[in-house]
Amino acid sequence: MKHRFTFHLPFRRLVVPFLLLLGPACRQNAEEEPDRQVQALRPVYATYEEVATIKTLGPQPLKSPGKIYVKDRYLFINEQGKGVHVIDNADPARPRKLSFISVPGNVDMAVKGTILYVDNTVDLVALDISDPAQVKVVKRIKNAYPNPSYPQERGVQFECADPARGIVVRWETAMVSNPKCYR
Amino acid sequence: MKNLLILTMIGLAVLAGCSETGTRDSSGMPNPDGGSGQGGSMARFTVAGNYLYVVNTHSLNVYDVTQNADPKSLGKVTLGFGVETIFPYKNHLFIGTQTGMHIMNLANPAQPQQTSFYRHIYSCDPVVAQGDYAYVTLRSGTACNTGPNRLEVVDIKNLANPVRVSTIPMTNPHGLGIDGNLLFVSEGDHGLKVFDATDPLNLRLLKNFTDLRSYDVIPGNHLLIVTGRDGIFQYRYDDSQELTLLSKLPIDNQ
Repeated sequence: MKHRFTFHLPFRRLVVPFLLLLGPACRQNAEEEPDRQVQALRPVYATYEEVATIKTLGPQPLKSPGKIYVKDRYLFINEQGKGVHVIDNADPARPRKLSFISVPGNVDMAVKGTILYVDNTVDLVALDISDPAQVKVVKRIKNAYPNPSYPQERGVQFECADPARGIVVRWETAMVSNPKCYR
Repeated sequence: MKNLLILTMIGLAVLAGCSETGTRDSSGMPNPDGGSGQGGSMARFTVAGNYLYVVNTHSLNVYDVTQNADPKSLGKVTLGFGVETIFPYKNHLFIGTQTGMHIMNLANPAQPQQTSFYRHIYSCDPVVAQGDYAYVTLRSGTACNTGPNRLEVVDIKNLANPVRVSTIPMTNPHGLGIDGNLLFVSEGDHGLKVFDATDPLNLRLLKNFTDLRSYDVIPGNHLLIVTGRDGIFQYRYDDSQELTLLSKLPIDNQ
């Protein structure tokens, strides 16, 4: 499945023209040097046990907001790859952080009634949010999704994910030597 | 200068990925047990009636959520390439992919069937709909995908035969949303555009907030929620089509 999206280096001919557009830094390094260090995305791994641990924390800093979802007085903000900020938005002039639901790998969400559905890397999880300060896992559907093998971003180089090292919970920017995947 | 522009666009693509947000119709679908909420045009999850639909890169997964706390997997529908976003409307799902928009009917909600496919150039394409029209943004998110950046207005009176009726050039469109006669289109680092959509065939640019970096919007009940690189912004809008900033949840940098 992933091969339709991630191109390994036989496709380098496609990658190189793209790199030329990245600017001088990449232009110098892309073609020749055998061991090039480039800024690219790198998977952050966790064990399944770590991934499947969902916790309610106190309000956390907003760092990298992703998708948003509105239900009644609540505003939910995805913190990319990390979980969901629960905001009391009864007064949109004064939104108030209530809690943070730590959901490793989380990208998306939806609510029905008092149940919040989230992706938790490979699993789909139903959370009872009746009390946003004490969120409860009420159902987990295992292996609902493939192990994420590429980042959400497009037009990026990245270190290929290695399933043997665990489940990818998010992607971080780092200096990577010879990243072999591109999407 | 051109390099700078390209770099900026790559930066945006890196930051925003290829999926976005907008508004959704909640009218046509009965939602018992407290009902569902509202996501954006970027969403990959949506609840319609007693079903939760989740799009993956290749497929649409269907869950029965009649019992909210006990979702049951009903299997999946294979959709092909590069599935990005999902938007429920008029008992249909509008599914944005990199090659076009699938319109799937929910006559049997456990097994959505394709009504039609609206093909466009290879691109990222969130979609929202209201009345007889769907609004699709196409973004050339990467340097190797050099298609046009634009907003397409699609006549969906006949869902089996969606027809493009208008095209508006954009700078770097991301998520979008529509409420009444106001259409909001995120322009990434280039801001947020507000159109008067009274006549969908002749959208009229009302405002261009060039300093409001935005990737995604949810409008509804005179409240616009904007997400972007600088945090979450909320605006009040009214019939005078003015936007008033109500609050900001900033990015915490420490």
